[in-house]
Amino acid sequence: MSQQSQQQDVTAAPTASGAATAAPAAGIEPVLETKGLSLGQIVRKRFFGHSGALIGLVVFAMIFLLAFSSEGWGPFPGWWKYQHDQVTPLVNEGVPTWTLAPFSFGDHPFGQDRIGRDLFAMTMRGAQQSIVVMLIIGIVAGVIGVVVGSLAGYFRGWVETVLMRLTDIIIIIPVLLLAAVMSQTAGRRDSGTWFAQFAASNGVVVLGIFLGLVLWVSLARLVRGEFLSLREREFVDAARISGASNFRIIFKHILPNAIGVVIVNGTLIMSSAILLETALSYLGVGVKAPDTSLGLLISQNQEAFATRPWLFWWPGLFIVLICLSINFIGDGLRDAFDPRQKKFNAKKAKSRGAHGSAVAAGASPAAEPSLEVGTTVSSVTSEVPDTEAFGGAPERAEDGKGGTA
Amino acid sequence: MRFGRISKAVGIAAAAVLALSACATQGGSTSPSSSGSAAKQGGSATVVEVNAFNTFNSNTADGNTDINSKISYATHWGFYYVDNSLKIVHNEKFGHYEKTSDNPLTVKYTLNDGVKWSDGTPVTAYDIALNWAASSSYFDDASPDGKKGTAYFSTAGDPTGLNNTNFPDVSSDGKTFTLTYTKPFADWETAIGGNNGTIDVPAHVVAKKAGLADAKALFDLMKGMKKGDPSNQQPANETLKKAADFYNTGFDTKTLPSDTSLFLSNGPYVVKDMVADQSMTLVRNKDFNWGPTANLDQITIRYIGSAPAQIQALKNGEADIIAPQASSDTIQQLKAIPGVTVNQGHQLSYDHLDLNFYGPLADKDVRTAFMLTVPRQDIVDKIIKQMDPNAKPLDSQIFVPDQAPYADSVKNNGSADYQQVNIDKAKQLLAGKTPTIRIMYNKDNPNRVDAYTLIAANAAKAGFKIVDGGLGKSDWGKALGKGGYDASIFGWINPGVGVSGVPQIFKTGNGSNFNKFSDPAADALMSQLVQTTDQSKQVDLEKQIDQKIWGASYGVPLFQAVGVEAFSDRVTGVKYMPNSSGVWWNYWEWAAKS
Amino acid sequence: MVTYVVRRLITAALILLGASFLVYNLTALSGDPLEEFRASNQPNAAQLMQARSQLLDLATPAPIRYFKWLGGAAGCFAGHCDLGKNLAGQPVTQALGQALVQTLTLVTGATILAILVGVALGIITALRQYSALDYGVTFLAFLFFSLPIFWVAVLLKEYGAIGFNNFLAHPDIPIATALGVGIVVGIIAGVVSAGSVRRRLIIGAIVFAFVTLVLEVASITQWFRFPGLGLGVILIAGVGIAFGVTVLTAGLQNRRALYAALTTVVIGVAAYFPMQPLLNLATPLMIVILAVVTVAVGIAVGYFWGGYDRSQGMRAGGITAFIVGALIMLDRFMQSWPAYFDNGLVRGRPIATIGAGTPNLQADFWSSGIDTFTHLILPTVALVLISLASYTRYTRSSMLEVMNMDYIRTARAKGVSERSVVMRHAFRNALIPISTVVALDIGQLIGGAVITETVFSVHGMGFMFLDGISHVDPNPVMGVFLCVAITALFFNLVADLIYSALDPRVRVK
Repeated sequence: MSQQSQQQDVTAAPTASGAATAAPAAGIEPVLETKGLSLGQIVRKRFFGHSGALIGLVVFAMIFLLAFSSEGWGPFPGWWKYQHDQVTPLVNEGVPTWTLAPFSFGDHPFGQDRIGRDLFAMTMRGAQQSIVVMLIIGIVAGVIGVVVGSLAGYFRGWVETVLMRLTDIIIIIPVLLLAAVMSQTAGRRDSGTWFAQFAASNGVVVLGIFLGLVLWVSLARLVRGEFLSLREREFVDAARISGASNFRIIFKHILPNAIGVVIVNGTLIMSSAILLETALSYLGVGVKAPDTSLGLLISQNQEAFATRPWLFWWPGLFIVLICLSINFIGDGLRDAFDPRQKKFNAKKAKSRGAHGSAVAAGASPAAEPSLEVGTTVSSVTSEVPDTEAFGGAPERAEDGKGGTA
Repeated sequence: MRFGRISKAVGIAAAAVLALSACATQGGSTSPSSSGSAAKQGGSATVVEVNAFNTFNSNTADGNTDINSKISYATHWGFYYVDNSLKIVHNEKFGHYEKTSDNPLTVKYTLNDGVKWSDGTPVTAYDIALNWAASSSYFDDASPDGKKGTAYFSTAGDPTGLNNTNFPDVSSDGKTFTLTYTKPFADWETAIGGNNGTIDVPAHVVAKKAGLADAKALFDLMKGMKKGDPSNQQPANETLKKAADFYNTGFDTKTLPSDTSLFLSNGPYVVKDMVADQSMTLVRNKDFNWGPTANLDQITIRYIGSAPAQIQALKNGEADIIAPQASSDTIQQLKAIPGVTVNQGHQLSYDHLDLNFYGPLADKDVRTAFMLTVPRQDIVDKIIKQMDPNAKPLDSQIFVPDQAPYADSVKNNGSADYQQVNIDKAKQLLAGKTPTIRIMYNKDNPNRVDAYTLIAANAAKAGFKIVDGGLGKSDWGKALGKGGYDASIFGWINPGVGVSGVPQIFKTGNGSNFNKFSDPAADALMSQLVQTTDQSKQVDLEKQIDQKIWGASYGVPLFQAVGVEAFSDRVTGVKYMPNSSGVWWNYWEWAAKS
Repeated sequence: MVTYVVRRLITAALILLGASFLVYNLTALSGDPLEEFRASNQPNAAQLMQARSQLLDLATPAPIRYFKWLGGAAGCFAGHCDLGKNLAGQPVTQALGQALVQTLTLVTGATILAILVGVALGIITALRQYSALDYGVTFLAFLFFSLPIFWVAVLLKEYGAIGFNNFLAHPDIPIATALGVGIVVGIIAGVVSAGSVRRRLIIGAIVFAFVTLVLEVASITQWFRFPGLGLGVILIAGVGIAFGVTVLTAGLQNRRALYAALTTVVIGVAAYFPMQPLLNLATPLMIVILAVVTVAVGIAVGYFWGGYDRSQGMRAGGITAFIVGALIMLDRFMQSWPAYFDNGLVRGRPIATIGAGTPNLQADFWSSGIDTFTHLILPTVALVLISLASYTRYTRSSMLEVMNMDYIRTARAKGVSERSVVMRHAFRNALIPISTVVALDIGQLIGGAVITETVFSVHGMGFMFLDGISHVDPNPVMGVFLCVAITALFFNLVADLIYSALDPRVRVK
C-alpha cells in the first residue's frame, strides 16, 4: 500500500487542507474573503455566515441550557419542581396541563406518565442523558480515532498495518450488533467488581464510553488519510530537520492542519450517536429504567402514540430538534472548514466567465482517493450515519415458548 | 443495403412475436379474474399470531412454541380439550377414557371407530403409545449431564408422572390403550395430550420413516425394550433412535412439504398452504365427523410481531382476529376502532413480590412489616386499572380468579391482613430498626419497573432503606436464587390445569424455590398433593398450602396480567381464553358473518 | 490489477476471520441463553435448561465453539455449507435463504428509488445553492433522517393505508379539499421555482389551477376506483416526454433527435390497441422481452433519423420508447385495478399494512403485480424518506465541488450551452464519488432495515439477526454477519475498481 500511495502522490497534486496556505496564490475572490485572517478566523467567519448552522447552534444551546438548568446535574439542583423519578398524584389522567388561552403552564406542562411521573422532568432528564451520551461518544471516539489515525498515518509500516487491519475488522461488523453487544456488556451489574459499582451509579457514562469504543473507526481512517498527505509536506520536513520529536510533529505540526476533518467528522459522529442511542433504547439495551433517555421514552411510549400522544411527542420532538441542530452545525462546519465549498451561483458563474473562483489545484474529488482507494470509500461512508442506526427490535411477546401440547 | 437491414429487422420482429407468444400465459385470453376463494358457504377468517410456525411436531422441547401448539390443536383432535373456564371437556365422539382402578392407578383409553388420519389410516392405540413413549422419556437412560447413554424422544413437558408407569397394554384390535401407573399421579387426566389434549403425531408415519412396516411394528419394537435406567446404560437401539430422531426433527419445516405424510390431520382442519415466515392457510378436513363441525371453510394465519402493527392490520381489514400484547394504550386503540369487538380477561401469569427467608428479611416480623407497606391496590390502580377497570390485587399464591376455588381460598388464607397499606403497624413491627432491602427486578419490563418505584416509595415511609437492585433482561434471571438481593419482583405462570407446578415453587429445596421458603407442614401437604388423584381433594390440599404460605409471610402476589383479544365484525364466536391456547380454544365455533 | 485484486481478497479473508471471531464471541458473551428458563416454574425447567445447554454446546468455552463453527463454515468452500442450526432446529443456511429473499424484496426497490430521487434532488439543490428550494430540501432531508422510522411507519399506515382505503370506498373529493390541495401545491411550486416574483406567481397560479382541476376531474370520473390513462393521456404525456428527453440528452436544436423521440411516441400510441390482447396474457418474461424490443425500436428510429450526431438521436429515441412503453404498461395495470379491488381477499382495501403479498391470492400477472405494489408501497416510502438524506447531501456537495472546477469554467468560456455544462461536464464527474457510495450501499443492502422489517412484519435478515442476539444464539447471527460482511467487502472492492475505472487519476496496483 505504501508504495502505491507514494507513487500516486506524484500523479495527483497535493491536497489543500490548510485553506489559508493554499488560497492566496490562486484566485481573486478568496483573497478578499480571507485576506489577513488566520484559519480560525476564516472558519469562524464562514460558520457564522451559514444561517442554518447558526440557527442550529442557538437551538442546541437553548436545549442544553433548558435540560441542564431545569433538572440540575450532579450536585447542582434544578429549578423545576419535580424530579424525573418522583411519583406524583395523577392530575387529569396525566393530560398536559399546558394551555394557551389563558396562557399557563400548570403543574405538569408536558403531562404525566401512567404512574404519575412528570413528563417535563423526564424529558429534560432524558435530553440530559442523551446529550451526555452524545458528548462522551464524541470525545472517546474522537480521541481514539485521532490517535489511531495519526499513528498509522505518520509512522506507516507495521504500525499502520496493525492499526488499520484492526480498524477494518471493526468496520465490517454491523454497527448495531457491536453497539448492542457493547451496551449489553455496559449494562451488566451482576458482578461485584469496582466496575459494576461504578456502572451502577454512572450507567450513562459507561454506555457512552463503550459506544465510543465502537464508533472511532471512520474517523481513524480519515485522519490517517490526512496524515498520509500532510507528512510529505515541506513544513513537516522543516520541523524534522530542526529536531522536533515525532510526538511534537504529530500533535503540534500535523494535527492542527487536519483539525477540520476531525471536527466535522466528530460532529457527524455525534449526530449519529444520538440516533444510535435511540435505536439501542428501542432494542432494550440502551439506558435502563428507572433512569431515562429520550430514546427510551419514545420506545416505552410508542404504543401510546394514538391514545396518549403527549408521552410520545415531547421526547420525540426533542430528539428531532437535537439531531437536526447537530446536523446543521455539522453542515456549517463542513462548509466552513472546506476551502472548496463556497457560494456557487450558476448565473454568476456563467457571467463571471474567465474570472471564476480559485481552488487549490489538487482539491479534486480524487485528492484523497489518490492516496489510497479505500480512504475515499470510508470518508464517504462515514459522513452520514448508517441508516442501520435506526434499527430496532420488535416488541415481541415474551413467552414465545408456552403451552405444552 | 438499407433494404437488407429492414428485412433483417422484420425477421427479428417476427422471431420476437413467436417468442412472445411462446411465453404467454396458458389457458386462453381470460380477463383478470375477480373471484377469490372467499365468499363460499362457510367463509374464511384471518387470524394474527406473533410467532412464525416452524414444525408440525409441537411436542418436542424445541418445537413447543405457542404457534406450533395452536396449529397442532386446529389440525388434531383428542380425548379432551380445555375450555375457557379451565375445565376439561371430554370428546366422547373421538374416544373415551376412564380411571379403572385407584391402586395401582390404571387408566383405560378407548378409541371410537371411524377416527382416522387424513391419509385414511385409522387412528389407533399405537398412536397413543407413541405419544406416551415420547412424553414419558421411558426409554431414556442418559446420565443427568447428558454425556453418557441415550436420550430418545425430546419432550417439552414434564416426564416425571408418565415415567412412573408400566409399559402400556394395547388391545388386539388396536382400539384400547391401558396405562398402569407405579406411583399415583395427580395430573393423570392431562398426562396424554397435555393442555391441548390432542393425539398429534401419527405413529405409522414415524414407523415408516424409521424403516418399519407400520405403527404396530413400532409398538412391538418398544415392547421388546426395557425401561431406561441412567445407572445401567445400554447401547442405543438403532431403530428406535432412528424413529426418535425423525420424531424430534423430521417434522420441522417452514414451507409446505411435498411429502403429505408430514402434516397429516385428524382434526377439523388440514394445512393447505404455507409461506415461510409470512402466513399459513388451513382448510376444513372433509372427513372429520368425530367432533364438532367447524363453521369456517378456511382459516388464514398471518404472523405479525408488534402490537401496533397488529392493531393497524385489524383496522385495515387485513386481519379478522388478533390477540396483541395488552397495554392500556393497545386496549384503548382497539376500542376506538369501529366494528371491532374487544374481549378482555386475565392471563395465567401473575407478578409477585417474594421476600428472601435469609438476610435482613430472615426475621418474620420484618417480612410482615415489609408486606404491610406494599401498596398493592395502588399498583393495580396505576398499572392494571387502565386496561381492566375491574382489576383487583391478586390474593392467592396458588389460585387465580379464573379458577373456581379462588374465592373460597382467599377468604381463609390470611391475605385479608394485607388489603390495606399499614405503615403504622409496619413501624411497630420494625420497632425502630431500619433494615436495608435490595429489591431485584427486571429493568426491561415496564410493569415491574413501575411496581418497584411504587413499592420503594412506600417502604421507605416505614423506615426501610430501599436499594435499587434491578437488572437487565439478560441478567435478572440468572441472579434469581443466587442471593445478592433481599426481595424480588417477577412473574410466574399458573398452568391453569394440573398441580405439579405447586411444589416446584414452594417445596423446600426445589428448583424454583428461589427465596428459600421452608415450612415442614406445607412440604408434607405438597407431597400428599402430587399423589392425590381426586380433584376435590387436590383443591382442599391446595387451599391449606395457600394458607401456610401466607401465614409464613412469604411475600405478596401483586396482580394478574391482562390479556386482550379483538375481532372484526366479519367473524363471530370468538371467546376469551386465559391459557396459552388463546383465541384458538374454540376455533370450530368461529363463523363468518354474512 | 490482478495482483491488486488477489491481494485485496487475501486481506479480506483475514479481516473476515478476525471479525467473525470477534462477533461470535461477543454474541456468545452478550447475554444469558438460558434466561427464559431461569424464572420458569415449569416442573421440568431444569431438563429444558439442560437440553438448551446441550443444543448450544454451552459446556464448551465460546472461543473453542467458534472454531467448531468455523470448521462447518469452511465446508462452504468444499460445497457443503454447515453454518449450524438456530434454536428452532432449522439449518441456518436455509433460514438465510428465506430471509434474504424477504429482505431483497423489501429493500431493492426502495434503494433504487432512493438513489434516483436523492441524486436528482442533490443536483437540483447544488445548481440552486442557498435558494429556498435548497434550504427546504436540506431541512426535510435532515428532518426525515432524524425521525424514528417506526414512527414514520405508523403514520404511513394510518394515513397511507387505512385512510386512503377509507377514501377509496367513497372516492369523492369535495371541492374545498381540491382547492386546499391546489393552494398548497401551488404555493410550494411558487416558492420552489426560480425567477422573478411575477414569474413565481404565474407558475404558482398555473400549478394551482391544474392540480385543482385534475383532482376534480378524477373525483367526478371516479378515477381512483376505475383508473386508466387512455390513449389521449399517453399521447400528450408522450409528446411532453419526447421534448423533455430531447432537452436532456441532445438539446432541442438537434431537430433529428426531437423527431426521433416524437416518432417513437407515435409508434407507441399506434401499437397501443394491437398490443392489448397480447398484454392480457403477459408473463414476467414476456414483459422483459417487450421492454427490450421497445427500447430497440426506439434506438432504431433514432438511427434511421440519422443526422450529424446519430448517437444522440438513438439515445433520445431509446429513452423515450422506454418511458412510453412504461406508460402503456401502467395503463394496463390500471385496467386490472377494479378487478383487484373487488377481489374477495382484498375486500376493497387494496393498500396493505403488512407482509409482502395477500395470502392465497391467485391472480394473473397484472393483478399480482398490483398486489406486490400495494404491499411494498408503504415500506418503500418509509425507507426512501430516511435514506434520502445521504444521497442528496453527497450529490449536492460533489456537484458543488465539480461546478467550481476549472474545466467547467473553461467549458463555459468557450460557449458551451448550460445544458451541456451540467449534463456532460459536471454531472458525469460528480457521479464518480457517488458511484462509490452507491456501491457500498448496495453492499450493505442485505443487512436489511431492521425496524422497517419489524413494523411491516417482514421476517428478513435484520429480524433474523436481532432474534439471534436476543436469544443469545450465535449461529443465525453469524450467518447474517457472514452474508453482510462478504457482500460489504466485495462491494468495497468493486467500489474501488469502479473508482479507478471512472477516474483515470486513480490507479490500483
